[in-house]
Amino acid sequence: MIILTSIIKNGLETQSDVPDELIYSISQGNTDAFETLYKTMKSSVYGYALSILKNTYDAEDVLHDCFVNIYKAAPSYRGNGKGKSWIMTIAHNLCIQKLRERNKTSDFPQDERELYLELPPQASADDKIVLEKCMKALSDEERQIIVLHAVTGFKHREIASILGIPLPTVLSKYNRSIKKLRELYNGGESDDQ
Amino acid sequence: MTNKQIEAKIKQAFDNAAPDSFDSVIADCVEQNGEVIFMKENKKKNVIYKYVAGIAAACVILVLGVFGFNYYSSNYAVDSTVSLDVNPSIEIKVNRNESVLEVIPLNEDGKTVLGDMNLKGSKLDVSVNALIGSMLRNGYLNDISNSILVSVDGKNSERSAEMQKRLSDKIASLLQTDSFSGAVLSQTIQHNDDTQSLADKYGISAGKAQLIQQIVSNDSRYKFEDLVALSINELNLIANHGTEDIGSVESVGTASDKGYIGESKAKEIALNHVGAAESDIYAYSCEIDFESGIMVYEIEFKCNGFEYSYDIDAVSGKIISGEKEKDDDVKPSSGNAGNTGNTGNTGNTGNTGNTGNTGSSKLIGADAAKSAAFKHAGVSAANAKKVTCKLEWENGRQVYDVEFDCTGYEYSYEIDATSGKIISHDREIDDDYTFPSASAGGTGNTGSSNLIGADAAKSAAFRHAGVSAANAKRITCKLEWENGKQVYDVEFDCAGYEYSYEIDAVSGKVLSHEKEVDDDYKSSSAGTGNTGNTGSSKLISADAAKAAAFKHAGVSAADAKRLTCELERDDGIQVYEIEFDCAGYEYSYEINAVSGNIISHEKEIID
Repeated sequence: MIILTSIIKNGLETQSDVPDELIYSISQGNTDAFETLYKTMKSSVYGYALSILKNTYDAEDVLHDCFVNIYKAAPSYRGNGKGKSWIMTIAHNLCIQKLRERNKTSDFPQDERELYLELPPQASADDKIVLEKCMKALSDEERQIIVLHAVTGFKHREIASILGIPLPTVLSKYNRSIKKLRELYNGGESDDQ
Repeated sequence: MTNKQIEAKIKQAFDNAAPDSFDSVIADCVEQNGEVIFMKENKKKNVIYKYVAGIAAACVILVLGVFGFNYYSSNYAVDSTVSLDVNPSIEIKVNRNESVLEVIPLNEDGKTVLGDMNLKGSKLDVSVNALIGSMLRNGYLNDISNSILVSVDGKNSERSAEMQKRLSDKIASLLQTDSFSGAVLSQTIQHNDDTQSLADKYGISAGKAQLIQQIVSNDSRYKFEDLVALSINELNLIANHGTEDIGSVESVGTASDKGYIGESKAKEIALNHVGAAESDIYAYSCEIDFESGIMVYEIEFKCNGFEYSYDIDAVSGKIISGEKEKDDDVKPSSGNAGNTGNTGNTGNTGNTGNTGNTGSSKLIGADAAKSAAFKHAGVSAANAKKVTCKLEWENGRQVYDVEFDCTGYEYSYEIDATSGKIISHDREIDDDYTFPSASAGGTGNTGSSNLIGADAAKSAAFRHAGVSAANAKRITCKLEWENGKQVYDVEFDCAGYEYSYEIDAVSGKVLSHEKEVDDDYKSSSAGTGNTGNTGSSKLISADAAKAAAFKHAGVSAADAKRLTCELERDDGIQVYEIEFDCAGYEYSYEINAVSGNIISHEKEIID
């Protein structure tokens, strides 16, 4: 049995998903529970937003708005043990909204903007290199798959469902992305596409 | 560097890059919601309220008992509440004899429908007839908006189910008019605080709240508050665009889309925008959906090496958004080829349609691809369900993506479309698998004769968890009623985890499951250095795992380069993850650290 106080105290490191109890508790105004959720999921939300928007300012906006929306929408959350999917859906919708805002004057929201990365002081030079490699060497879909798996902890099957693509495609794109990153990291050749 | 190490680096980078702006978030939340309510303080107050409420409830029960509860409940007590929702929402409260006690319009349109009719004391059937007639006369039900939701919330579940069926049939027949046919959604709901509080919050009927909850539960893209303003016809359209199933809501008839421009017009708008002809596009799909407060047609297709995605306003035909992305699956030099070959569902398309393939090599065809997958999986074609086979471009070559279900597993294969070689494969537990029941064919929940039994329920849970019965500890299995249906609650511990399952007592389907770290678990093999897979089981050595991988790959240890072998815990079991390169290929293996069985393997060409 999950004990809420233990989750709040110890965080969610051992949980495979966000427990429903935590969100129910947030719906009743428990700010400790909200902070626990924030600390656990902020990297996932921020990483996913950054993987789509390729701009740290926009990703920060999405991170902020996402958690405000979570707080507001917690009373309508309806369990099923899919808290993580619920949160990432909110994040996804905000990213789409952000893309639309960006592209109001253009027919196609899929822009070709320059990558913009401005990282906080706690991020090391090594972190910046890794993020730049993720952003530059991977396609949008590959990057989303990598972030959803490595940062958010979704299984490949869940990612296939979230992104609406076949599982074998997710597996092969994941493997291809990891291979690209490994080569880049080992100082080998970059992808040749 | 191993995959895990790369993943860890990525995670660390994003962890460090994510800003901590919780103070700003909570400040905005408090600003929007007013004062934050802290749970701990409330709990004390709630205890007092609970006592007061309890005493008050006891007094009411006592008074009712003294003055003749039976007489009261037959004639004056609300036995069932029937709600009718179109856009007008009306609640009808009836007693046990189905005489109307009260009719409550829940919105302005409901007041218009009710008008000056006084239905108190009338029979339920007569009242429903009158209200449907008024909805037709007032134009709330017509060929543009033809859907109605009937919800029965009663004290007796069997009587409620019967009433739901009877009313649904009656209304469906009333809506068989000369100009259109109606679509009736019906459901039985039990009193539920969560549903009722949402209904009260948004001023809608409990029935509509329950329907929206079902839709949101089925499709996490939707949010409850966004769907509140939609009519039943709109809800019916978005809920039914992919499947007929809307949870426990029964559906008769088809929701009208005549209020919208129609799929063909939306498609035409998208094609005109791209400047493509119908014959140029493939992989086309269209769904009606609700996006950013409006109904839209979501149109997707591929054309000339790009993937297009459009949202088109379903009323005005205006393009709300359009996306154009490079189609990663198309070989850059393929010219105009590949259009007809991309479906891959018929056996012969490969030979004639795939002009984008390199050189003159011919494709093996979808049937051969499926056969290769079945053969590898050890599954006969007759037993495979939900078989799909798609021809795709991957890494500059054509592959068949083959997927199918069989006896509780979902299989996925990638097969080289030219050579027929298996490039990758995966097998996972099928969450939707219905465990064969002892009395096949029983669909009803009433009575206990159709139940699968505790043993079958436990087996279904073990199977889903990938745990053998012998290794499961502290097993409990209880038969419970849950949301009007019987379920087995199965719980057990195994290898440091606590498992909880809800199994449908009739179909054997896994309804929900949970796996948590067992805080009380003590590894029984700590002394041996093995961190506990199945209690007393010992792990095979890394050398044995590598040998199993080499043997399977047909590779000698001496020829394997860049060999790595790591012990990991994956889905509750310990596995050796082994990777190595040999003769231009990269091999990846997952090997069960206890049994030595190969869980998954992959072989890829090193670019």
